Amino acid sequence: MSSAVVSTIACRPTHLAPAGWLALQAAALWPHGAWMAARVQDGSDAPLGLAALAALLMLLGLRRHTLRIAPHTGWLAAGVALTLLSNAALLVAPPLACALLAALALGAALMAWLPTDAPRAALAGLVLLALPWIASLQYYGGYPLRVVTAQASAWLLQLAGLAAERSGTAMLVQGQLVIVDAPCSGVQMAWMAWFCACAVAGLLALRDGVFLRRLPWIGAIVLAGNVLRNSLLVALEARPQGLAASMHEGIGLIALALVCAAVVAVMTRGVRHEARC
Amino acid sequence: MRRVRGPVFPLLRHPVPPLSASGRVLVAVLFAIWAFALSVAWSPALADDGEALKAEGPYFAVAGDPSLDALPLKSTKVDVRLAGVIADVTVTQRYTNEGQRPIEARYVFPGSTHAAVHAMQVRLGGRVLHAQIEEKQRARIRHETARREGKTSALLEQERPNVFQMNVANILPGDDVQVELHYTELVVPTEGRYEFVFPTVVGPRYHRSASAGGTSRFPATAHLKEGEASRSAFDLHVHFASPLPVSELRSATHGIEVSGEGTGAAEVELVDAGARNDRDFILTYRLAGERTATGLTLFRGDGSAGAENFFLAVVEPPKAIAPAQINPREYVFVVDISGSMHGQPLATAKALLRNLIGNLRQSDSFNVLLFSGSSQMLSAAPVPATRVNIERAIAVIDQARGGGSTEIVPALKRIAALPKAADVARSVIVVTDGYVTVENEVFALVRRNLGNSNVFAFGIGSSVNRHLIEGIARAGQGEPFIVTKPELAAAQAERLRKMIDSPVLTHLQARFDGLEVYDLEPASLTALPDVLGGRPVVIQGKWRGEPRGQLVLEGRAAQGSHVDVVPVAAPDVQAGALRQLWARSRIQQLSDQEALEGGSGQREAITALGLRYSLLTQYTSFIAVDEIVRTSEAAVPVNQPLPLPQGVSNLAVGGDGGEVGAAVPSTPEPGAWLSLLVVLALVGAALAKRSNW
Repeated sequence: MSSAVVSTIACRPTHLAPAGWLALQAAALWPHGAWMAARVQDGSDAPLGLAALAALLMLLGLRRHTLRIAPHTGWLAAGVALTLLSNAALLVAPPLACALLAALALGAALMAWLPTDAPRAALAGLVLLALPWIASLQYYGGYPLRVVTAQASAWLLQLAGLAAERSGTAMLVQGQLVIVDAPCSGVQMAWMAWFCACAVAGLLALRDGVFLRRLPWIGAIVLAGNVLRNSLLVALEARPQGLAASMHEGIGLIALALVCAAVVAVMTRGVRHEARC
Repeated sequence: MRRVRGPVFPLLRHPVPPLSASGRVLVAVLFAIWAFALSVAWSPALADDGEALKAEGPYFAVAGDPSLDALPLKSTKVDVRLAGVIADVTVTQRYTNEGQRPIEARYVFPGSTHAAVHAMQVRLGGRVLHAQIEEKQRARIRHETARREGKTSALLEQERPNVFQMNVANILPGDDVQVELHYTELVVPTEGRYEFVFPTVVGPRYHRSASAGGTSRFPATAHLKEGEASRSAFDLHVHFASPLPVSELRSATHGIEVSGEGTGAAEVELVDAGARNDRDFILTYRLAGERTATGLTLFRGDGSAGAENFFLAVVEPPKAIAPAQINPREYVFVVDISGSMHGQPLATAKALLRNLIGNLRQSDSFNVLLFSGSSQMLSAAPVPATRVNIERAIAVIDQARGGGSTEIVPALKRIAALPKAADVARSVIVVTDGYVTVENEVFALVRRNLGNSNVFAFGIGSSVNRHLIEGIARAGQGEPFIVTKPELAAAQAERLRKMIDSPVLTHLQARFDGLEVYDLEPASLTALPDVLGGRPVVIQGKWRGEPRGQLVLEGRAAQGSHVDVVPVAAPDVQAGALRQLWARSRIQQLSDQEALEGGSGQREAITALGLRYSLLTQYTSFIAVDEIVRTSEAAVPVNQPLPLPQGVSNLAVGGDGGEVGAAVPSTPEPGAWLSLLVVLALVGAALAKRSNW
């Protein structure tokens, strides 16, 4: 967000402007910020959360004129309570759980200033996406996703007439072993798709109910997209000459673009009507 | 204006009124105080690495707490005394703690594959603690107890016959702890040339984690990055006490300064100014020109009840003569192209293979299997060694870049499954650096499934896992070779060719006339392995009665039958090392048996030998405990990082984008930033169309 946007928000005719409040709250939550920065710096997680944070600030900047003058005290109280809770949790809970509470605290404070017709769910989604999730999702959810992807790919390749079978998260295709390892799970694609959905919903001011009803489609699209991507790559990898790294990258990007296009299509379907409902 | 009744703090009232300006400032101040309190309470010093999940494979060391001395091993000093075929080695490791907190130093270091480690002592503050040999679990419990009680304790364990782990607990700030190890080993000549090897570094071993189905255990080793030299000093001194003059002293690995060459009391010093401990130290020499210190050496026990007498026979084979007719053979080359082979090791392997394959006869046939995470066969069946096929094979090998994991067991299983014609002799030639942890699986596989072939193993690189290379050769009735650099490839390839074409002695048997011998190594004297490549026949055992008679060795050589008669000499009082060497040989034989059977069926026998002969084994460890309680503060574990062996790249550990396991093709998602650009472009497009909606 540009400095002009910050100064505009900070100059609202209240004693403590929303940006000032959020800045102070963020300062109180600094241990979580320091942890997230450390994770980004030491390479233990992809710094994608920064993109979600930037998108959130941009959307807030676009909506700065619609922010409430007097904050909703219930949300504010929730923000305060969650801030205290997240900091206290540092003594007993894992850092990611504490950071989740901190994100919820900031999200609650944000809600206090948002007008009732704001796309709160989409903005809350961006707040959550700002957390360093990728490595943890890979760790906890990666394996089942890989098994599902490998099995679906095996069926798909069998339909295409190839000798394909799955063993754990590995596939034997035409006698060639190909592994569906952590970077193949589709977790990153899922993050991208959710980010895309939240950003588009935020831009279009999609109502929360509409956004939440369409969210499950995102999971289905990602799963299908990743299975197709994986199947194509496995089939090409099983050839004697293998597949060049650039082709890998290119096919992956095309698959991601198609998935995100589908997400945009789902989020914008009937938007003129839905957004006004 | 009506006042709201109730608690003073607005957030506690119901309904909650809007906060006043001063209320908001108050809340902000409270947050700031809370944050300050946390900043005081939350210190990195409170982080406990002990709670972190343990790594299973090699990893790169990262800088941590500055109050901790992360490099406690300051120096390693090696003194070698070479007398005949026996080397007595003293290794002194000096640990100091220049940090502010007590530490437990953990150091994984290599040893010779034949080392019989028989003693250890610790010097601490002017005192000397003599280590005792104990059963492994018992020693661990004693060490743990001492560590918790704040006593300084040193525990030496064997991870592999050539890899050891030293744990020194409770090294206090300012402490200077010196740990001395003593081992002895047999230095056997090949074609009259002796080779003494002192490995200085353990290469990063590819390890399949338990969660991925791996069953082997190996300590996770911390490594420095490629090009980063160890800050631990290394020095080595060799002095000979030989009855024969020592000549042709050379080292292809280190700069040395030799004095007294041509006498029996030669001395060797290291003169390298740079890194010395990132590769094996290899010293070659001859004794009195072509002569070797062979014969029959006897040692008589001290005469007490239960004392035993030992002997060692080293008999030089006759010179090899090329036979008139050479039968066609089938060669299968199994080549490691994993991440640890990237760079110089693979260049050496390529030079070797160009020599090996390029010199095949037209009547021979061959095939090549390249393996890392997966394997790739040059052709479905062996092809004749025609010029076209040889050039095609060399072109395929030249394309290999080196990357990924080292799945050697599936590769060898694939070889074992190859159909073999009954009338064609097959030689399997394995080319690898040996950086794996599945040695026992490999030995069992070779022994069970490749019994109808001769298996030769070439260790490639500056710090080869000789345990694997020698074990494969032993299991496959072949020979081990080490090629440290491309310039040496041609000579080793030629040595193999000669060896396969003309084994020196076959149908070998031995007998002792007039001397009562027992507990022999090898166990049977009537079916000794063929002698290949100019290595002498080595027989060890015990004797009783009077030292008289002779050893008779009979076999078939190229020119007819061959008989060697070695008379029994008077016992040598200086040959006490034969005791440990015999026990070491017996332990190796039991370990081979255990590897073949799987499990730990020889645990009791090996433990008994270790305890009786005071030897470090896989089931016995050395432990030295100081009885003085020196600290009440918990010692922080510190893993001494190891340099990467010379020529080995970061890919061996999995750095620089070359993940371990990546050589099995996989289907990773595209890069995060590129993906984000694609998504932002799509969101941007959606934004651009917004005005139309």
